[in-house]
Amino acid sequence: MSESILKLQNATMQFGGVVALNDVSFEIKKQEILGLIGPNGAGKTTVFNVITGVYQVTKGDITFEGKSLKGRKRYKITRGGVARTFQNIRLWGDMTALENVITATDTHKRSGLISGLFGLPISRREEKRDKARAQELLDFIGIGEYADRLAKNLPYGVQRRLEIARALGTEPKLLLLDEPAAGFNPAEKVELAKTIRKIRDAGYTVLLIEHDMSLVMGVSDRVVVIDFGQKIADDLPAKVQNDKRVIEAYLGVPEDAS
Amino acid sequence: MFNLRDWGAGVWERSGRPVRVLIALGAIAAAASLPLLGGTFLNTPIADYGSVLVFPVAIFVIMALGLNIVIGKSGLLDLGYVAFFAIGAYTMGILGTKTGLNSWEILPIGIAMAMFAGLILGVPALRLRGDYLAIITLGFGEIVRITALNLNSIGGANGIVGIPTPPTIFGLEYTFDNHRLYFWTFLIIILLTIWMIRRLSVRRAGRAWESIRQDEDAAELMGVPTFRYKIWAFVLGASVGGAAGVLYASKTLFISPDNFTLQVSILILACVVFGGMGNIWGVVLGAIILGYLPDRIRFISDARLLVFGAVLVLMMNLRPDGLLPRKKREKALPEKGQS
Ligand SMILES: Nc1ncnc2c1ncn2[C@@H]1O[C@H](COP(=O)(O)OP(=O)(O)OP(=O)(O)O)[C@@H](O)[C@H]1O
Ligand SMILES: [Mg+2]
Repeated sequence: MSESILKLQNATMQFGGVVALNDVSFEIKKQEILGLIGPNGAGKTTVFNVITGVYQVTKGDITFEGKSLKGRKRYKITRGGVARTFQNIRLWGDMTALENVITATDTHKRSGLISGLFGLPISRREEKRDKARAQELLDFIGIGEYADRLAKNLPYGVQRRLEIARALGTEPKLLLLDEPAAGFNPAEKVELAKTIRKIRDAGYTVLLIEHDMSLVMGVSDRVVVIDFGQKIADDLPAKVQNDKRVIEAYLGVPEDAS
Repeated sequence: MFNLRDWGAGVWERSGRPVRVLIALGAIAAAASLPLLGGTFLNTPIADYGSVLVFPVAIFVIMALGLNIVIGKSGLLDLGYVAFFAIGAYTMGILGTKTGLNSWEILPIGIAMAMFAGLILGVPALRLRGDYLAIITLGFGEIVRITALNLNSIGGANGIVGIPTPPTIFGLEYTFDNHRLYFWTFLIIILLTIWMIRRLSVRRAGRAWESIRQDEDAAELMGVPTFRYKIWAFVLGASVGGAAGVLYASKTLFISPDNFTLQVSILILACVVFGGMGNIWGVVLGAIILGYLPDRIRFISDARLLVFGAVLVLMMNLRPDGLLPRKKREKALPEKGQS
């Protein structure tokens, strides 16, 4: 656990007058679980947005496996190995859970429209392979039994998990999870922590945004804290918890006091 | 409440292959026998029944199927679909009268021309979304018509006359009033189109379109090359429109810019919306009904646009997803665990 996979270098993101990220630098190492925390509106989701190409940083740079992501198309960033979930769930509601994941696995299909039209062997082979893979991922995340249900009809917690399975469907190296435990009860959170560790043990690198302190401190190898768009801490969970600036940043936000 | 779409889909899913083949053959036979029912209650008092089946009915069905790829499958609002129809028809008109090529030779050329036009329009237009796309495509439809109107070398306002009929095949002659032969020929094109769309819908392309329609940003972020798939939808839709144009010109043997007004785009859109956006069978049904009824019921013919407008408003309120809505149903949960 040494080599870094993703690097933010002096990343700054400005929306008109709002500076959502101000000169933020940190890196994620291979196979690490990195927690990203901060009060509401600190700029956590914005970090995901600039990594995945939703927004282009106004200053600074982001590199993935040594190559800059600047100007790269969003779907190419994903195909290059970075996948995310959404804080506000954005599944394709009228597709089944399985179809949601298969659509993501299409990312690395070689057969396209024409071979699909004529039912060429490569298309059929890939369909079969990816359908199996999608089911495997649903099982891995623990929602295999919901495969044939429409995403919009799934219970909330299952939808959150389906977001993770769908992101894994793109076969990423780096998985970005945006508050995957939002709205979960304590038992579900414990389950989720296990799942996240399982994901890491399967070889993925994880960047985790989470408000629940016990979850994020329990599961992360390292934690980055941002406040008002600035990085204020970057350390082991135990150290971060006792950091003076971090405690200050969180004062007055009662539900987040650990 | 009885749901025709779910009932139909249920029967289909429960059936084995032999039964499915039987159902399909039965449906094709029923469609093919339509021209033979001229003397029955189906007869149209306003225009010749056989000719109504060819145009508008069959042509509307083809165009609605094509537009459905664009708007129903991928959610791209194209208000200028008539442009591709016009390009196909004019390709037939020009090449048919000025070269020795026959309809079947011109068909692929007309399709290619329409696809090319779809590409030319799609590359800039598909960077825009929603209302902007609708306005650009609407403008494109008008530009094509007005260009034809002003180009005297292709007939200008007079259009093109004397387009040749398709050549005789198997001793069957495409005379102007051999409506049955035309209908059966067009039916084959319809079946091919349906085959193509069904094939595409279940694989990668179908899922990509579906994901784009439901949430384009999420699709892009999940690695779907959304722009490329939108172009494909546009170009494939255009190819079907172009084919319809070639066939149309081969049947009417006379075309003029008046045949390609905005109204045609709106009518085909109405067929799609009325029948059920995104559902092939709904779209076919919608096109059959809206193509046929005006010639069957004089009142509708007299006030065509008014009636269609009223129908659309009613549908939007009572049944916004159309007669046969797209699949929104879950498969009957299987007892077995996997695949
Ligand atoms: N597209 C945008 N345009 C303008 N301002 C934006 C935009 N996106 C984010 N912001 C602003 O950037 C700041 C950081 O937002 P962000 O969503 O990254 O916070 P967050 O840390 O994810 O918060 P939360 O915990 O509530 O999810 C906020 O002040 C927000 O209003
Ligand atoms: Mg956020």
